[in-house]
Parts: sequence; structure tokens; C-alpha cells
Amino acid sequence: MAAKKLQIALYWGAACGGCDVAVLDTNEFILDVAAVADVRFWPIAVDGKYSDVEAMSDGELDLALFDGAVRNSENEHVAKLLRAKSKVLVAFGSCAYMGGIPGLANLVTKDEILATAYLSNASIEPGNQTVPRARSAVDGMTLEIPSFYRRVYRLQDVVDVDYFVPGCPPAPDQVKAVLLAVVKGELPPRGSVVGASERAVCDDCKRTKSEKKVKSFHRPFEIIQDSSRCLIEQGILCMGSATRSGCGVRCPNSNQGCRGCYGPLPGVSDHGAKFLSALASIVDSKDPKEIEHILDGLPDFISFAYRFGMPASTLQRSYK
Amino acid sequence: MEELKIGVFICNCGSNIAHHVDVDAVREAVEAMPGIAIARSYKYMCSNPGQEMIARDIREHQLNRVVVAACSPRMHEKTFRNACRNGGLNPYLCEMANIREQCSWVHSDQLAATEKAKALTNAAINRVRYHEPLESLTAEMCPATLVIGGGIAGLTAALELADAAHQVYLVERTATLGGNLARVDLTAPHLDSARDLLTERITRVRANSRITLMLNSELQSLAGYVGNYAAIIRTKNGSGEVQERKVDVGNVVVATGYQEFDAGRITHYGHGKLPNVVTSFEFEQMLRKGRIETRHGKLPQYAAIIHCVGSRNKEFHPYCSRVCCMTALKYAHELKSANPACYVSDIYVDMHAFGKGHEDFYKTTSEVKTLFLMFEKNERPVVRKAGPNDDCEMLIEVNETLSRERIEIPADLIILMVGMEARADSGEVARLVNISQDQEGWFMESHPKLDPVATTTDGIYIAGTCAAPKDIPDTVAQARAAAARILGKIAKGKIEIDGVFAEVNEDRCSGCRMCNELCPYSAIEFNDQTRRSHVIPAACKACGACVAACPSGAIKGRHFTVEQLHAQIDGVLA
Amino acid sequence: MSFEPKIVGFLCNWCSYTGADLAGTSRIQYPPNIRVIRVMCSARIEPDFVLRALASGADGVLICGCHPGDCHYSEGNYKAMRRYPLLKRMLKDYGVDNDRVRLEWVSASEGQRFADIVTDMTERVRALGPLRIKTDLQTDMVER
Repeated sequence: MAAKKLQIALYWGAACGGCDVAVLDTNEFILDVAAVADVRFWPIAVDGKYSDVEAMSDGELDLALFDGAVRNSENEHVAKLLRAKSKVLVAFGSCAYMGGIPGLANLVTKDEILATAYLSNASIEPGNQTVPRARSAVDGMTLEIPSFYRRVYRLQDVVDVDYFVPGCPPAPDQVKAVLLAVVKGELPPRGSVVGASERAVCDDCKRTKSEKKVKSFHRPFEIIQDSSRCLIEQGILCMGSATRSGCGVRCPNSNQGCRGCYGPLPGVSDHGAKFLSALASIVDSKDPKEIEHILDGLPDFISFAYRFGMPASTLQRSYK
Repeated sequence: MEELKIGVFICNCGSNIAHHVDVDAVREAVEAMPGIAIARSYKYMCSNPGQEMIARDIREHQLNRVVVAACSPRMHEKTFRNACRNGGLNPYLCEMANIREQCSWVHSDQLAATEKAKALTNAAINRVRYHEPLESLTAEMCPATLVIGGGIAGLTAALELADAAHQVYLVERTATLGGNLARVDLTAPHLDSARDLLTERITRVRANSRITLMLNSELQSLAGYVGNYAAIIRTKNGSGEVQERKVDVGNVVVATGYQEFDAGRITHYGHGKLPNVVTSFEFEQMLRKGRIETRHGKLPQYAAIIHCVGSRNKEFHPYCSRVCCMTALKYAHELKSANPACYVSDIYVDMHAFGKGHEDFYKTTSEVKTLFLMFEKNERPVVRKAGPNDDCEMLIEVNETLSRERIEIPADLIILMVGMEARADSGEVARLVNISQDQEGWFMESHPKLDPVATTTDGIYIAGTCAAPKDIPDTVAQARAAAARILGKIAKGKIEIDGVFAEVNEDRCSGCRMCNELCPYSAIEFNDQTRRSHVIPAACKACGACVAACPSGAIKGRHFTVEQLHAQIDGVLA
Repeated sequence: MSFEPKIVGFLCNWCSYTGADLAGTSRIQYPPNIRVIRVMCSARIEPDFVLRALASGADGVLICGCHPGDCHYSEGNYKAMRRYPLLKRMLKDYGVDNDRVRLEWVSASEGQRFADIVTDMTERVRALGPLRIKTDLQTDMVER
């Protein structure tokens, strides 16, 4: 009798689909996976309904990869479902791990979001006040759609998570490594971040690093950059020094600053705050007015510092 | 984590704490907390019985953490750390809660003060859970010393050290020794010859084989830390050639002296315009030549001395330059000695006769018929050229305070008592040796009362006028004090480095180099081979700047770790 | 019953903590709402600590260091001078009023100044009302 195939599932919450594409980006490797695993549920790629998952016994799935954040009740429902039915549940990609780009929605309220989408944008017919509701009466029946949450959550905020794979999306090599580890049964301690280094991007970045003193900050297009020299030293924002490596330094190698999608280093509880501390420390001034002027070169710093991790931050959302 | 057995000791401090904080209520609140093996209150925890109680409880209850809720740790942290040590517990496993200076003494509402005391004690208990048993490190102490400055302070310090059989490198910027004192004829108040004072020193310095004298030399760089400094000295020889020499020293004495205030900045005194307005140093030149005369070669019939030139004034320097009053009296004495018929006016703000023999000197000078005129420090006298019908060169208008009259004084020679100011290159020196300057540019001592020759950088000492205006007795005292401190350190042979410093976890350091420039002590080095940064424990002062700035969280601030501070934050808010 | 704000203070050992002790030895009274945490230098204080305090129930955070130029460690307070303006800009975007996080320079001899700052800050934060970050986050979860 043939060895039992691994039972796996992949699901997307509040997601863009990029993580699912990243799995497909492993190219031929996916065929190797298909040879040893049954993909029981993967909305983007294979047929399958929630009822199929509901019918499974607890722990029937060997592995579930959940990408995307938790924005609404459907995301949470499926997260709980997959947790119950899986031996190993992985928060896959920055959204599931830290909230991701959808997490920036925590800087505004649910009402503001719905108003912008359904009431006050240029493509709405004047007078149209239709806003989605979780429950509506239609033809004498009750229609329920998932309820839109007040804020975006990480996967671990609603269920226990076994492993975290950061990245927006995780690099194909890391995807392979994770899948192989599961196949071979060589998993690190539960709760680990996998597919990422224990050191910051600077460790793998080939740019030269020396004295760090910044007198002004620039957007990448505002100066002619020296592509062999550290970006921060040239006044270009790069979060690499505060961010886990493992991505292959994709962004600095493309002359853009790292945006932090692999999240903070171990032991750092607030990614944006740690980066703020480092960045501000190297501002080259002792004069309060000059400092304010230099900081004017960092508009909307909150969105930079928490681009992928607002729901993972200490304050998690806006309190306006 | 090991099983914690925390002992909490709450001090009544007589009624200082107990009057506003219900100490029993704090004890009761604490007793119930997890991990608390024992909670006690006592009248005076810092007393011998109090300290013995802690040591005994540590032994009897096998305590592995101690919290003392009492006065400020700035008062008694050392005391209670010692008590722990005596009980056999590592002293860093102790934490204090300040429920006196920052609680019972400032909040009269008993309920509120007690609640706050509970919160602060709770925070200390939370924090101490994460304390680690830190150990001090030891390093070697190089017995050689670098003395910067060849004036009376530098010469004195160098001799003190060399006489104790230790190597000294004496670096002097100019071609001669003696500094500002070499420009002086006689010293006040005993009218000793400055030349005699210096010649004795200079001869002994030149003869001492342990003193390596480097003239025309300047400190180029100083690297390392106390006990282990590497100094590079740059010497320019007669033909303009430059040589660099590296010396290893354990300590440095900075004795770079002062410069005088530029009298031309006070325009209505006429210095630089009127030929017979001279500064004190210019007058000293006359005294050394043995001829007091005006620029026209005449004996002055009228002489005037003006005090506080550039001193005691917000416009220039707010401080008193200390030596000028007695020196002015010396000039009055010299003028009268040279020409008893000379009318001498001493125009002063206050007569600072603070030292030994000063009051007597003042008395004797007033007896030789010097006219003393007092002015208010913000209403300076005005000097102008006299007219053709006046029998003097210049006239000085003074708003005399005691008589409340506007008095006009004749003067053929005016001596301006210029104050002391920090040398123009003192900023450069401060940067090289890593010491601070105050707002006036004087080098800052570790503590103005209790530690006047040490600085906040271990191994760097300051002596003489580079630290603040002072006279020869105080300068010599400081030079000897600095030497004595260094001799004490050398005698120990090794230095003990406090166990609290920053540590880079090289498994986490990415070589980003955010930290290296942030350290005022250059204690974090970057290794180009390993591409990691590393802290030199002996050089680190544990300020925590690098710990907070490290974007990877790879630098641990011993005794001020993230876990400890988080626990403390949560504890005060529980 | 009027709202009693909870204020966490981070004070540097050499200047501001000593100044606060001086207020004590001088028996200068000030509101009991502040709880002080001692660090060796204002340079040790990370923005993360401020956020942690706010998220753990503090209604305000006071950071004190030595006057610029007087830092015991030469330049530590300049790091604070650079970090806190940026943190305050970020807190504004978080909807946290700037009066809740304050950076002040207090020397070892300024006991009265410390007391005045604490008194002023306590009243300002009282007027702003409770921050409630901790309970707001819990309410979000409960009410989704």
C-alpha cells in the first residue's frame, strides 16, 4: 500500500493573492508537492467548499497555510475551522503574521471605510446610500454576509498558530523550505518564525556601511543614488536594519529601501518603534528647530514604520 | 526561570515614610503576591540591624531576590547591595523602590501615598524577577601617565608621579615650560618670585629620567579606556618637520591652563588705542624688565588699576577670575615701591581677599596710601585721553559707589586686570580626551564638591586653571590631588570594571553600524573582518544610547534590559 | 469622582531623578499620579517604552533628561531630543494627544521645576480624560 499522502490546505483571508501566487512561483517544485500531498482545500487553485472542510475530522489535515489578515467574520470562521482540522497551522505571509498592508486600515474607522467605499466617492450615483450590512431581509428571508470587523487582526489574534512565515510574499525559496520541512517532519519548536534569518537585512545586503549621520531625508527619486552605499546613509528610508533577512535583499538590490515585510527581529516587540528609535538617533543635529526641519522629510512616518505590521504594533490602531 | 524567592523589606524610616505611607498595608499587599518568600517592615532598614536583617533573611529563607522599599536608590543602593553581598547574594539581584523622596515626602494624602507606594513596590518586585547576577570584570592598569600642559599644574603633577617611580609623558605645546606663570614677575600675596617657583620645578623635571619631556608637541589622538590608553603625540621640530609618537598610558592629567581675556573687547577702556593702557600681563613684562614707565619712557605720576576686566559681567564672562584682586594689590605695592610719589588708584568692584594672607595683604597695601574707588559692576568706568591743559595722560570717570559721586581720576598708566577665560583650543582638547565643558568652556569635574579633579571619563583628570580660574595654591593642590588619585589606581595594579555595561549579541548583530557613532566614549567598535560591532566593557558607561538605538535589539543593556523595563512599566500600572 | 490620571515618568539618574529627589528633600508637594521609573540616561528610553506604558494603562508619559549640553554621558539627551519629536508626530497620527507625552529637561537642582511640571502635566492629562487604550482594544475584540 502506498504511503499516505500529506493532507494540506491553503486559504486566504484579507489578502491580495500574492502569497498563493508565491506558492505557485515555486514552479516545478509544486508538482513534487502534488506528488506527496493531497491539496484538500485551496480556493484559488482547486475545487472545494467550506462544507468539505467542516466534514473533516479534527487534525485530519497535516498542514494548513493561512495567508491574509483577519478582517471579517468569514476570515475568522475559516481560521477557526482550519485550526480545528489541522495538525499544523501556519500564518503564511506578512498579512497573516503581522496584519500586512490591509492592517493599515486600522488607522481609520470601519465607518470611514464604508463611507469612502459606498457613500462619498466619485463613482457612486448621487443619492445612493446603500451600505452593506451583515444582515438584510430579502424577499421575506434573512440574507447574511460576513460582518466587517472594527479592526484588522493577525491570525494569531483569533487562533493558536504553530509557525509564522513572513514576507510579502515569502520568497519562493522559503516556501520550498517550509513545505519540505513539513514533508520531512523536521519542524523547529512550535511558535517559531520560519523561512527568515535571525539577523537583519543588513547582514545580507552588499552595500557598504560606515558612519551614520543624516542631515536630510529624501524619496528615492529625489537624488541620484550611489547604489553601492547604504541607503540610510544617503538619506533614503530603508527599514532593513530593523527587519529580518531571508528575502534575498530584493528591494535594496533594486535601489529601493526595504519596507519591512519580514517583520522585526526576535525579541523586538514593536517593529515601527524600534526603527523610529534607530532612525531618529542618527539625525545629525543638536538643535530642536533643525531637528524638526529634518523630520519634516519624513511625512506620514507611521505608515512607513507600520506598513506591514500595524495590527502587530503596541497600539494596534488609531484612537481618533 | 529558577523558582523565585523574593524578600521584600519596607522601611518606615522613623516617621519619614511611615507618617504618610501605611507601611503595613504595603506589606500586606505584597505578601500575597506570587514568589514572595518574606515581607517585612522595619524602622530603619539602612541601620546595622536593618542590614543584618536582610543578610540573615537571605540565608535563612534562601532568598534569591531582594526588594527594599525605602529612600532613594541614590541614597542607599550601595548600602543594600552590600547587605545582599553579606548575605551571600549577588548585589545586582537587589532592587529599590523610592517611597520616601518621591512618595511620602511629596504627597500628604495618606491614601494616595500608600497606593503609590504599593505601585512602586509592585514595579520593583516585577523588575527584580528579571535581574541577573552580574559580575565585575578586571583589566590591567598601565602605570605610565600622560600629562598635557607644562605649566605649574602639569609640572607639579608630573613630578609627583615620577617621584613615586612611575613613567610620565609630559606634553607641552610651546617650546618652553612654565605656562602663564612664566609671564609673571612676583606672586601675590607673599611676593615670591615666580621664576624661582618655576625654576625649581623645571630643573627637577628635566633631571628626572622618568619624565619624558615633549616640547612643541600636541596630543593628536587618544584611544582606549582607563588603564589602557594609546596616545599619539605630534611633535614639530625647529625646521617644521613633524614626528608622531605613540605612547601607552593608564591615565591622563589635563593641565592646559587658561588664556587671558582680550581687553580690546571693552572699547571704552581704550586698550589698543591709548598707548598707556596695558593689561596685567603687559605690566608684568615691565616688572620683569625692572622698569615701570609709560610708552614715552616717563615714570608715571598717576597710575590706576581697574579690576574685573571681562569678568563678573554677563556681557563677557559672569564668573570671578579669582586671582586679579590680589594681583592688583601687588601692582599697587610695586608701583609705590618703584616711585613712592606715584598716586595709585585702585578701581574695583569688590575686594576678593578670600585666601590665606589675603586680608593682611589688603591691609598693608591700603597703608601705602592707595586710593580705593568702588564701582558697580555694570557701570564700568570710562577712559579718555586727557586734554592739553591736564597734567596727566588720561582721565578715568568713575561712578564711585561709596561716596555716590562721579569722580574723575588722572592716570598716566592704566593697568587692566584682565580675567581668565577658557583657551580657544579647549574644545579640541575636550573632544580628544572625551571630557565635558561647562557653558563657559571650563572642563567639568566629576562633582564640584566631592570630586574636583576627576571627570566623568575614567582615567582622565583635570588640574589647575583649565577647570576654572584659581590661584597657585589651589592649582598645585589640584595637581597633587590628581597625581595622588592616579597613584592610588596604579597601586591597585588592576582596574575593576562595573558589571553594568552594554553587550552586543554577535549572533544577532547584522553589522548595520547604526550604533558606532552614537557612543560618546567610542566604546562600540566595528570589526571589519567579522562585520559585527563589539562593546569594550571597560570603556562603556552604560548610558544605554546604543541599546535603545539598535534596530535589531541586538544590544543588551545589562541591568536595564527590555524585559526588566517592561516589567517595571507593567508593574507601576497594575 | 473626578478622573485620576495615571502618569508614568522616565527620569535619568544624574539630573532629573536627582531633581525629583530634591523636590522630596525640600518637601515640595505635587500630585501623586506620577510613578517614576529610573534609567541612567534619557538615551536609554526607547519609544517602545512610551508605547508600552500607554498600552498598559498610562494616560500620560513624562520623559525627563538633563539640559542639553549638561548630559552626564555627554550627548545622551540629544538622542532623546531627536527621538521624541518623531514619536509625537506618530502619536498624533495614532490619535493620541501630544499633551499626553512630554519631554522636559530637569537639572539636579530643579526640584521645584520638577514639581511644577508634574502638577501641570497632571492637570492637562486630567482635562484630556482617560486614554483607555487597553480597554478599547478589549472592547474591539468583544464586540468585533
